[in-house]
Amino acid sequence: MLLAVPAFLFSQTKTVTGTVTDETSGPLQGISVTIKGTTTGTQTDANGKFSISVSTGAKLVLSAVNFETTELAVGNQSVVAVSLKSKSGSLNDVVVVGYATQKKVNLTGSVSSITASDLSGRPVTNVSSALAGLSSGVFVRQSSGKPGSDGGTIRIRGVGTLNNSDPLVVIDGIIGSMDAVNPDDIQSMSILKDAASASIYGSQAANGVILITTKKGSKNKTTVTYNGIASSTAPSGKIQFVTNYAQHMGLINESSVNLGQSVLFPQARIDEWKAAAANPDGKNAIGVPNWLAYPNTDWSSWIFHHKTAQNHNISLSGGNEKVTYLLSANYQNNPGIVDHTTTEKYQFRANIEAKINKVITVGTQTFASLQTYGLANTDNVYNFLSQTTPGVYPYYDGKYGYPSATEENQLANNIQAYLDGTGGRDEQTRINTTLYSILNLYKGLSFEAKVNYQTRFEETNTHALPINKWDFNTNILRVAATTPDLLTTSYSFNKDYRVTLDGVLRYNTKIGKDHDFGALAGYDEFYFNYYDFNASKLGLIDYSITTLGSAGNTANNAGGQQYDRAVRSLFGRINYAYKNKYLLEANLRYDGSSRFSGANRWGYFPSVSAGWKVSEEDFFAPFKDKIRNLKLRGSWGKLGNFGATNNGSANDYAYQAVYSAVNYSFNGIAAAGLRQGSIANPLLQWENTTQTNIGLEATIFRSLNVELDWYNRQTDGILTTPPVPLVLGTASAPIQNTAAVLNRGVEVTLGWSKRIGQFNLSLSGNFAYNRNTVTGYKGKLVEGYSTDASGNKVYTSNIGAASNNGTNTLIVEDHTINEYFMQTLYKGNGSYANTDGSVNINGGPKTGMIRTAEDLNWVKSMIAAGYKFLPVGSTALPANKSLLNYGDFIYADNNKDGIYGNSFDRKFTGTSSTPKYNFGFSANLAWKGIDFSMLWAGSAGMQYYWNDSYNTTTTRNGFGVTKLVADNHYFYNEANPTDPANNTNGKYPRLKYNTDAQNTTSSTFWLYNASYIKLKNLQIGYTLPNRYASKALITRARIYLSAENLFTITSYPGLDPEIGPSIGYPTLKQYAAGVTLTF
Amino acid sequence: MKSGRGENFIWPVRSVHFKPTNITLMKKLLIIVSFIAVAGCQKKLLDTAPYNAASSATMWTTDGLTDQGVTGVYQAMRLSIATGGASGNELYQLDRYAFTGQGRDLDALLGGTITSSSGLFSANWQQLYEGVKRANDAISNIPLKSPSAAAKKARYVAECKFLRAYYYSRLNQLFRGVPLYLENVDVSGATKPRETEDKIWDAVIADLTDAINESNLPLKYTSADAGNGHVTKGAAYALRGKVYMYKQQWANAAADFQKVKDAGYKLFTGSYKDCFTLANEKSDEMIFSIQNINQDGYGSTTQFYCGTRSSFGSCWNTYLVSPNGVDMFENIDGTKFNWDAIIPGYNAMAPAKREVYFLRDNMTTAEVTAAAARGLDMSLYLPVGNEARVKAAYENRDPRLKANVITPYSTYLGRPINGVDQTFTSRWPARDENPPTSDLFTDTKSQFFYLYRKFVYEGSTQLISRVTGPIDLPVIRYADVALMWAEAINEQGFSTTAVDLVNTVRARAGVALLNSSPTTTVTGQADLRERIRNERRMEFMNEGISFFDELRWKTWKDKVFYPGNGVKQVWGANVNTYTWQGDYIYNWAVPASEIQINTKLTQNTGWLN
Repeated sequence: MLLAVPAFLFSQTKTVTGTVTDETSGPLQGISVTIKGTTTGTQTDANGKFSISVSTGAKLVLSAVNFETTELAVGNQSVVAVSLKSKSGSLNDVVVVGYATQKKVNLTGSVSSITASDLSGRPVTNVSSALAGLSSGVFVRQSSGKPGSDGGTIRIRGVGTLNNSDPLVVIDGIIGSMDAVNPDDIQSMSILKDAASASIYGSQAANGVILITTKKGSKNKTTVTYNGIASSTAPSGKIQFVTNYAQHMGLINESSVNLGQSVLFPQARIDEWKAAAANPDGKNAIGVPNWLAYPNTDWSSWIFHHKTAQNHNISLSGGNEKVTYLLSANYQNNPGIVDHTTTEKYQFRANIEAKINKVITVGTQTFASLQTYGLANTDNVYNFLSQTTPGVYPYYDGKYGYPSATEENQLANNIQAYLDGTGGRDEQTRINTTLYSILNLYKGLSFEAKVNYQTRFEETNTHALPINKWDFNTNILRVAATTPDLLTTSYSFNKDYRVTLDGVLRYNTKIGKDHDFGALAGYDEFYFNYYDFNASKLGLIDYSITTLGSAGNTANNAGGQQYDRAVRSLFGRINYAYKNKYLLEANLRYDGSSRFSGANRWGYFPSVSAGWKVSEEDFFAPFKDKIRNLKLRGSWGKLGNFGATNNGSANDYAYQAVYSAVNYSFNGIAAAGLRQGSIANPLLQWENTTQTNIGLEATIFRSLNVELDWYNRQTDGILTTPPVPLVLGTASAPIQNTAAVLNRGVEVTLGWSKRIGQFNLSLSGNFAYNRNTVTGYKGKLVEGYSTDASGNKVYTSNIGAASNNGTNTLIVEDHTINEYFMQTLYKGNGSYANTDGSVNINGGPKTGMIRTAEDLNWVKSMIAAGYKFLPVGSTALPANKSLLNYGDFIYADNNKDGIYGNSFDRKFTGTSSTPKYNFGFSANLAWKGIDFSMLWAGSAGMQYYWNDSYNTTTTRNGFGVTKLVADNHYFYNEANPTDPANNTNGKYPRLKYNTDAQNTTSSTFWLYNASYIKLKNLQIGYTLPNRYASKALITRARIYLSAENLFTITSYPGLDPEIGPSIGYPTLKQYAAGVTLTF
Repeated sequence: MKSGRGENFIWPVRSVHFKPTNITLMKKLLIIVSFIAVAGCQKKLLDTAPYNAASSATMWTTDGLTDQGVTGVYQAMRLSIATGGASGNELYQLDRYAFTGQGRDLDALLGGTITSSSGLFSANWQQLYEGVKRANDAISNIPLKSPSAAAKKARYVAECKFLRAYYYSRLNQLFRGVPLYLENVDVSGATKPRETEDKIWDAVIADLTDAINESNLPLKYTSADAGNGHVTKGAAYALRGKVYMYKQQWANAAADFQKVKDAGYKLFTGSYKDCFTLANEKSDEMIFSIQNINQDGYGSTTQFYCGTRSSFGSCWNTYLVSPNGVDMFENIDGTKFNWDAIIPGYNAMAPAKREVYFLRDNMTTAEVTAAAARGLDMSLYLPVGNEARVKAAYENRDPRLKANVITPYSTYLGRPINGVDQTFTSRWPARDENPPTSDLFTDTKSQFFYLYRKFVYEGSTQLISRVTGPIDLPVIRYADVALMWAEAINEQGFSTTAVDLVNTVRARAGVALLNSSPTTTVTGQADLRERIRNERRMEFMNEGISFFDELRWKTWKDKVFYPGNGVKQVWGANVNTYTWQGDYIYNWAVPASEIQINTKLTQNTGWLN
C-alpha cells in the first residue's frame, strides 16, 4: 500500500564531488555534508573528499566541530573545493536526537554530544568505560577491570531512583547494549539529559538516554583504515598484605592473646621462619631451600602480572551514487592482569545503504561479535587474596604449594591453584541486525520503517582440572589430585533475543520566510525473551574427556529458566521555529508494558520545551561581536521507569503472585513441591519522573563556549521493595510504588579553543553538582522521648516502619538516598570521676577508644553504675578480656538513655556513596603534525563505608592481614606496660581472633572520604606529513602513545575510589602505543 | 502457548535473504518491512505470564497442584539448610548450644556478645513463620479450591495442621510467646502483638487435636507405604505429648505417649549405631523425620559440617563434640567414668598439661621439642604405649559413645585417596593424611577435638556430595517419647514404671540397666529426674533435641555456662570461654528489625533493642 505513493517527485539530480580543506589546505576528514533543508548527507573521507547527489539549485551545508559552517550553492559545477574556517564552539553541529537529528544551535533540550575523536586512541575495550569526564552531568564508574566485565556504570544527573538507574542505550535507533558496539564503529554519541529530549523514549527514559550512531559509508573512493593499539597492563591499585610470615603468625597470636586465648603458633615456629628468612638459600633437614620450605609469599605480586593487550580494527568504507557501505572488523585481546582472565573478541559490522530510486532507500546495520572469556574464578580476585597467608608457596616445579606450618589453617587457599583449576570454554555471541527503509514520500515528508533482531547467547563448558598440593617443607603430597571419576563437568547456556519493530513518519516544512514546522509520529514495539539451561555430571572417564555424554550417571543436575517482557508505544513530536529565534517543541509518548497488569499498563509521557536565541534579536546587535551566540532554553517533561535493566533478569511478573518449585522427598522418592515465591502487587505501576530544565548557551569572544543548566528532577512512585515483617516468611517482598526522590543540580560546561599561529589549543571542562533528597517513602521519621501510660519517660522511634531498615544506610524521608546511618564514637572529656568519687558520666576516653587503665576503669565504673555499652558491655566485664577491653571502641549515647551504642544512638552522616560533584577536564594541543591530549575525571562529596576482610582488625587463621592494619593498630601488653610492642596510640582498634562484635559495629570510624580525581588518559600523537605517507600509498598515518588511568589523586586508602567501596578486580593502568593508517 | 509467541513475531524476517543488488527482492523486502511496522502488532504481546512458576490464580486448583502445595509445607522444615557454609540454624547445628556439643568457632550467643539484631534470631523467626504461612495457605485454600478427593483433602489439612503446630512449637520453645497468625494476612495486616507462651501452646494443642481427630489421617505408615514420611496420628500424639511436657501437664503427656506406643511405634531392635543408617531410617522408631535423599538439593548437610577433611567430599568440622559430653558416658557396667581410673592424677592436672597423654606414639624429635615448648611435661610421655594408655579411656564405655563420637586413636572409614576409600585414624598431632600413615585430618589441624561420628558417612559410596546426606533426620523418635514418658511419670511421683521406660532405652544401647547394681540404683524422684536428663543428653547427641531440653529444664546456665566452660580440646583446655549474659537469654530476642517494623511487638525482658 505504501509503495503506491507516487515515487518520482524530485527534480533532476546530479552528483557533486568536492574536496574540503582547512585554512592550511590540509584535507579535512569527517566533515558533515548535508543538503540544506533535508537530512540527506554524507561525510568527507580521509582525503577530505565527498560525493553527493543533489538537485540543481540546492545548497550544501558543510559542518564539523571546530569549523565554521559553510553553505555552498550548487550551480553547474560538479567538482567543488571548499576551505573551512576553523572556529571555536560547535554551534552548527548536527546532533542526533530521539528519532531525528537537529542542529545544536536549535536544541531546546539538554543534550551532550561526543564524537569519535573523543574516543580515539584510548586502549579501552568498552565504550562505557571511556565516557568518564567527557560530559557534564554524566558520571561513569568502572567498577571492575576484569576483561570482559570492565564496562562502566553510567549515571546521568545523579541517582533518581532506587531500582535500575542505567540510562537507556539506543544504537542506530534501536534499544541495545553498549557492550554490543565496537568503539571504532561509533560516529557520534548523544546524551539526552533532560525530560524534553528523552521523553520521546517514554517509559524507559527516566535515567536519561544515550544515542549511539555508527559510521556510514561514503560515496567517494574507497578508503581502508587500520587502527592498531597495543598496551601494557598493570593493576591501577593494590591492597598490601603482610608478607612476612613470621610477622603474620605474630599478629594472629596477638589477636588470640588479646582475647585471653592461647597462641595459635608456638614461638618455635615463628623462630623457625625468622631463621630461614635470614638465610633464604640455606637448606632445611631434607635439603629443600629455605625460601621454598619457609615461604613468605607476596600474593599480590604473584597474582598480578604485567601483560600486553591489543586491539586491531580495520574498516572499509566506500560506495557510489546507489550504494554506500561501511565494513569493519575488529579483534581485541585483553589478557587482563591475572592468569586465565583473558578475553578475546571479534567484532564485525556491515552498514550498507542502497538508494533504489528517488523515493526509496533501504539499508542495514548489521553487527556480530564473538567473545571468549577466561575461566579463572576471579569474580572477586581479592577475596582469594584475603583468604590465604604468606605461609603458602604458590607453585614450584609443577607442584602447587600447601600451608607449610602445622598450625596453619589447612583451608588457606593457594590462589594460583584456584586460577588454574578450571578447564573448558566460555563463549558469547551477539548478532544484531536492522533492516530499514526510508521512503521520501513528498517534499519534507518521509517514512522510515525498521525491523531489528538482536540476540546474545553464551555457552560455557567447564570442568575441574586435577590439582595436587605439596608441602614443600617436608616434600609430602598433601592433597592428591582428584581422580577423574570424582570430577564434575558442566555445561551452561543462556540466550536472550529482542525483536523490535519501528515506524516513524516525519514531516518538515517552511511556511513563508519565518515559520519552520516539523512533525513526527511513530510506532514502536519490542519483545524480549531470556532463557537459560545448565547441566552437570559427575565422573569423567579421563581428565581429557569432558563431554556431558561421556560422564558418569551418579549425579546429574539440570536446570533452566525463562522470562520475557514486551513494550508497545506510540509517540509524536511537533517542532516550530519562528524566525529561527523562537523555538518550540512538544513530545508525547504513550507506552504499554507487560510488566504491569492490564489496568495499570498504559502511561502518557508528555514534554514541552522552548528556546530563545537572544543573540538573533536586533537589540542584541551591539553585543554580537563580543557574544556571538546567546540562547536561553527551558523544558518540562515526564518520563517513566519500569525497573528493568536492558537485558538483566528482573521481576517481570511482579503483579502476579507466583509459586515456585522446592525440593522435598517422601519415602526416599523426590517429590515436587510448590511454595509462594513472591508476594504479588497487582497495583504496580510505572514510576514517574518529572523534570524541569533551564539552560543557557553562549559563545563569548568567538572562542569561549559556555553552557549552563539547572534542573529539578522529581521521581514519584519509585518501584522499591521495602522490607516486610518477617512473619510474612521468606517469600520475596512485593515491589511497590513507594518512594519519591528529588534530584536538583547544576551543570556547567566550558570550552575554549584558539588557534595561535601553528598551535591549535582547546580546553574543555565540565562540572556538575547534584543534590538528592528522598521526599517521600513510608512517612516521616519520628523519634524522641515521650511519657508512656505508666508515666515513664521512654524513647521511641519509628525508624523501622519509616525506613528500609538498612544496616549501614537508610532510605528515609528528608535524607539522601542510602544516606549513611550508624554509630558514632564516644568522645569523653578525659576526666574520670566527680569530686565525690562517683563516676563522671561525661568523662572517659576522648578518642572513642579505651586506651588507658583509667579509660577501662571508667567503663567498669559506668557499668557498675548501671550504664551499658553495647553491643558487648551490658554486663560486668569478665576477666578473660573477650568483652570490652583495652583497644576497643565505645560508642556515643546520642539519645542519652544511658545505653551507649544501642540502635537509637545511630546518626545520619549527611553523606552517601554517591558523589555530589562530578567533573572532567580535557586539553588538546596540536602543532603541525603533533597532537597532545589529556583527560581528567573526578568525583567528590561521597564517602565509602569500608570494613570488610581487607580493612578489619578481626583476624582469622588462614586469612591475610593487611598492612594498613598491621602497621597501625592498638596493642597493650597489660603484663608489661613497657613492652616495646605497645602501641596505645594506634589508629585501628586491637586485633581480635575470629570474632569482634564491638569494633565491627557499623560506625563512622570506617567511613572514608572517597573524593578523587584521575588522569584517565594522556596521549601524544604524530601524523606523518603527506609527502612521506603518500610514498607508501598511505593517505594518512598517525602514530601515538597513550596512557590510561595513569594516576589518581585521593585520600581514600582502599583499592581505587572509582570502583567503589567493595574490592574487586582492579582497574587497569595501561601504557599503549598505537597507529592509525588510512589507505 | 509459549513457543508460538516469539516465532510468529519474527517469521517474516527469517524468510528474507538480503541481497542489496537485487532490486526486485528489495521491493519485496520493503513491502514486508513496511507491513510489519504498520500491521505486525500482536494483540497478546503485552500479556506475558511466568515460565518458571505457577500463578496464584491457578494454585491449589488441580490435584497435582494440591499435592505440590502440601509438599511445600513440609519443605519449610529444610529452609535452614545452607550448602555453602553452615547456617547455624539447622536442628542438629543448634546442639552447639547443648551440654554435649560445641562449635569450632565461638558463637556469639555463647561468647556473650549477641544482640537482638543477630541473624540467629531473625533467621529462625522468619523461617519458622514461613512454615506457618505455607500451612495457613494450605489449610485455607485446600477446602476452597482443591478438586482432590474429600478424604485426601481432609488428610492434607490434618497434616498441615500438624506442621503448623510443629512450626509454632519451635517458635514458642525459643521466643516464648509470639504473634499468632492462623490465616494468611497481607503486608498491612502483619501487625499483631505477641500472645502469651501459654496461649501459643493452646493453639498448638488445638491444631494437633484436630489432626488426631481426623479419621483420614493414618495412625502409622509402614516402611513400604508410599505415604511414609508424611504426618501420622502417632506423630501428632507424640508432639502433643511434648507440648504437654512444656505445660507440665504430666498426665496428659503420659496419656499421649501411651497412644504413640499403641499406634505401633517402638524402639528399633538393632543396635543404637544401626538406628541411624539409611537402611533403618524408616524403622518403627522413627515417628516423624525431615526426609533426605541422596540427590542434589534433597539431602542433609551433616556430612559437610560434622565431617572432616578426611570425610568424603572434604568436609569441615564446624560442629564438634564437647569433652563434657564424652566424659558423661558411663562405663558399660553403669559406673561413672573417671579419668583418674585410667590415668591417676589426671583430674587434678591443669587441663592444658593433660595434652601429653593424648600424644601419638613414636613422636619425632621435632614433635617432642614442640610439645615441650607448649609446656608439656614430657617425662609423662610414653614413646611406646602413650596411645594404648589413652585408648583405654574409651574402652568398656556405654556403646553409644563410640557410635556418636570419633575418639582419639579410633578409626574412621573416609574419603578415597588414589581411588581407594581410606581408613583414617584420629591421631595427635596429625602428620600425613596419605596412606600408609592415614592420619585423620580436620580443618583445625593445630587443635585436637572430639568429632561426631553420628550422621557422618563412611566411605565414598553412600552419597554423591557432601551436601546430599541421604539419612532422614529424626524430629521425634520413639526413644524421645519413651524418655519423656518416663519423665512425665516421674514428675507425678517416683515409680518403677518410669525406671522401666528408661531401661528400655539403656537396654537397646547396651549399657547396664538401672537398678542392676549399686551405682545404677535409683534412689528416688530427684535422682531419677537427673538420670533421665543425662540419659537424654547421651541418647540424642547431634539430633537437635538436647538444646531445647536444657531450655525446658532451665538447666542451660548450669550445664553449659558454668564458670570456665567453653569450646574445649579433648583434654579439656579451653580454646574459647563462654560468657553468660544474663538469665534473660533463656528467651531468645524477638528480632530487632521485627520490633522496629511492627511497634506492637514487645521485646523479651533483658534484651536491648
